[in-house]
Amino acid sequence: MTGVRCPKCKLMQMPRASCKSCGTPLGGPAPSPIPAQAPAPRPTPVSPQPNPPASRPNPQAPLRTGPMYRTDAPPPLWTEEAPPAPPPGIPPVATLEPPPPLGEYTSESHGLFFYGKGGSLFGIHIVNMLLTVLTLGIYHFWGKVKVRKYMLSQTEFAGDRFAFHGTGKELFIGFLKALLIFFIPIGGLFIAPELLELGDLAKAAATGLAYMIILVFIPVAIVGALRYRMSRTSWRGIRFSFRGRVKDFLKIFLGGWFLTAITLGLYYPSFITKQYAFTASHSYFGNHKFGFDGRGRDLFKSFLLALLLVLPTLGFYWFWFQAKMLRYLSEHTTFGQARFRSTVTGGRLLALTLGNILLLIVTLGLGWAWVSVRNARFACRYLTLEGPLDMALISQDAQRASATGEGLASFLDLDTGFDFG
Amino acid sequence: MKTNWEGYYLDGRSAARHRVAIHLMPSGLQVTTEAGTLWWPYPEIRQTQGFYAGEEVRLERGGEIPQALLVSNPAFLTELHRVAPGLATRFHDPARRRARAKLTLLAALAVIGITTAMYLWGIPGMAGIVASHVPVSWEESLGGAVVENLAPASERCTDSTLARAVDEITTTLTRTLPASPYTFRVAVVDNLTVNAIAAPGGFIVLFRGLVERTQTPEELAGVLAHEMQHVVRRHATRLLVQNASTSLLLAALTGDARNAMTLGLEGARVLGILRYSRQYEEEADQEGIRLLIAARIDPAGMVRFFESLKEKEQGKEPAFFTYLSTHPSTADRVERLKSLAAKADGQWVTLLPDLQWREINQLCHAGGD
Repeated sequence: MTGVRCPKCKLMQMPRASCKSCGTPLGGPAPSPIPAQAPAPRPTPVSPQPNPPASRPNPQAPLRTGPMYRTDAPPPLWTEEAPPAPPPGIPPVATLEPPPPLGEYTSESHGLFFYGKGGSLFGIHIVNMLLTVLTLGIYHFWGKVKVRKYMLSQTEFAGDRFAFHGTGKELFIGFLKALLIFFIPIGGLFIAPELLELGDLAKAAATGLAYMIILVFIPVAIVGALRYRMSRTSWRGIRFSFRGRVKDFLKIFLGGWFLTAITLGLYYPSFITKQYAFTASHSYFGNHKFGFDGRGRDLFKSFLLALLLVLPTLGFYWFWFQAKMLRYLSEHTTFGQARFRSTVTGGRLLALTLGNILLLIVTLGLGWAWVSVRNARFACRYLTLEGPLDMALISQDAQRASATGEGLASFLDLDTGFDFG
Repeated sequence: MKTNWEGYYLDGRSAARHRVAIHLMPSGLQVTTEAGTLWWPYPEIRQTQGFYAGEEVRLERGGEIPQALLVSNPAFLTELHRVAPGLATRFHDPARRRARAKLTLLAALAVIGITTAMYLWGIPGMAGIVASHVPVSWEESLGGAVVENLAPASERCTDSTLARAVDEITTTLTRTLPASPYTFRVAVVDNLTVNAIAAPGGFIVLFRGLVERTQTPEELAGVLAHEMQHVVRRHATRLLVQNASTSLLLAALTGDARNAMTLGLEGARVLGILRYSRQYEEEADQEGIRLLIAARIDPAGMVRFFESLKEKEQGKEPAFFTYLSTHPSTADRVERLKSLAAKADGQWVTLLPDLQWREINQLCHAGGD
């Protein structure tokens, strides 16, 4: 599959009828029907493209009506018909287009797009495998960075790709620190009573203590890993950051488990929402904060319905609940005046999961790279940010973060694999 | 030669991107922004994106928060290599992508080769070295714990005649063993399974079902000789090391994919371990029969015992299951034992000449009843 380049904004993209960034006609095929391997266009009802994806007709999206998710949105500031004059100071390079004015992205819907290919990722894995085995495992951390760099470099938001700035050395040191402060003490608590031949009571106490420490370390690792990953992720050269405090998350986490347990699970949707709210509302892009305005009780009715339907549908209804939850959480996440929007459905989630399982079984696990690519593509395809974004107002405000939490997370198997930070 | 390119410049301070003109020079990039001209010497620039088809080129310069240049046309890199051939070696050359694909293929072959070599020779060799350095006292405490679990005192046979008979056979065998650091402790447990187990450190557990199945003391001596070789050759300790290192090897191979591949990994590990375990069974058979011959005990007893097991399980399981078993197939074992026994001849001692084995081997009762 080869890409085409927009003659106007020079953006490389899959062949399509019009540029996904500026809307210039490209003369490519209209994106329909979706080829098996090619990333399909997102079925967002708010499409700046002249041709909405024909394969996914959305009754809510009449053709060519422009921004409609938020009808009160201001009109576009910049249109193709009237490009502003180039500012002075730029030498006359023949092909140079005039720079767009401040707040250049005025179309209302900003999409995510994943370009990665399973084959390339598989190649990275193969080389990582070889070097990891040859270095007796030490290369693992450098390999991890390679994979993350690839995944983020292949992810595009509003025409620009993400970048990962972590290093293998950081991850290695983080791992060693986590080994020192977590793994060795916990291991000691499990082994020492056996070696010292202590009584059953002492053994039970040591084991209990070990599990308590693990329980406390889980939220520490979640926050630490989030802080590290976001601090090393950038878009347009601006770093993300996570500024939530471990202490606050610990309360939400332990309290949430407690309440979920004593309400026999009924607190679950509120717990999920609270965790998500904490994560979202302490996330920053540069000096601008993400926000969250959802409430767990909004999901309660859907949750009850899911509980009722999950057994009669052999568990399949759970995908529909998950999709509902994803949509709800996305749609209550904001960034400045813009709001996220998800079009995930239970059917799509089910198809993704079944496809992934099938792929892994048929390839005896070797298809893992293709599964990650499918997941990333899925995560991007159904998520958009709707509303005005003024990039010129966002300035760098990077935060320091060590990789210790990341190391802890790897011990606790909290690796979520792919995330956008 | 195209030396003028366009791209975007990210200053690392604001999220606005600036359209720039980039001029390729022999020693660096001249970047013209709306605010003025920047000079980026090649040695200070690093490439962070643009290694794959369709991915824009990203060049970074500066410390913790770098500035970046984005060029969407990949031909830029080709030109860069042409304009500054010496200095540009630090940048990706799209012309080499084909070579990279070949190298990846080579890496795949190397992974397969190394894994196979590690599995066939590396892990068993290392396990042998490690096991020979494990102190016998560690093996004894580990084996003691296993036996405590498997054959608690309340389930052991208490009959003293049987115990004396078993002890005598054991002593006959140990006399001919070269000096070994192990003290053999044989327990008979009141359980109808036809089985025997060698735990590390010299502990051997015979199940009542097996003892009752043996027709002569020589048959039991065959089983004991087999289990003793497991102990002396530290098979259990080696298997522990091999188990751990197979897990490590598989973890190193799969890295982050381990969650997705959990099932496959567990399968691979178990299959791998089973093969090691079958090799040890074969070794114990072979060395066990040698031990019998050295002790002047007729090896025909051991052969006969395995033959009786073979008759019992005849037609029970297809040959395929041999590969899924910790033991070689009984038919194979009997054949191998027969050929080993055929080589030996001579005067055999009679074990327990004054006792009626068929009565003694029924004497097992656990302490309680």
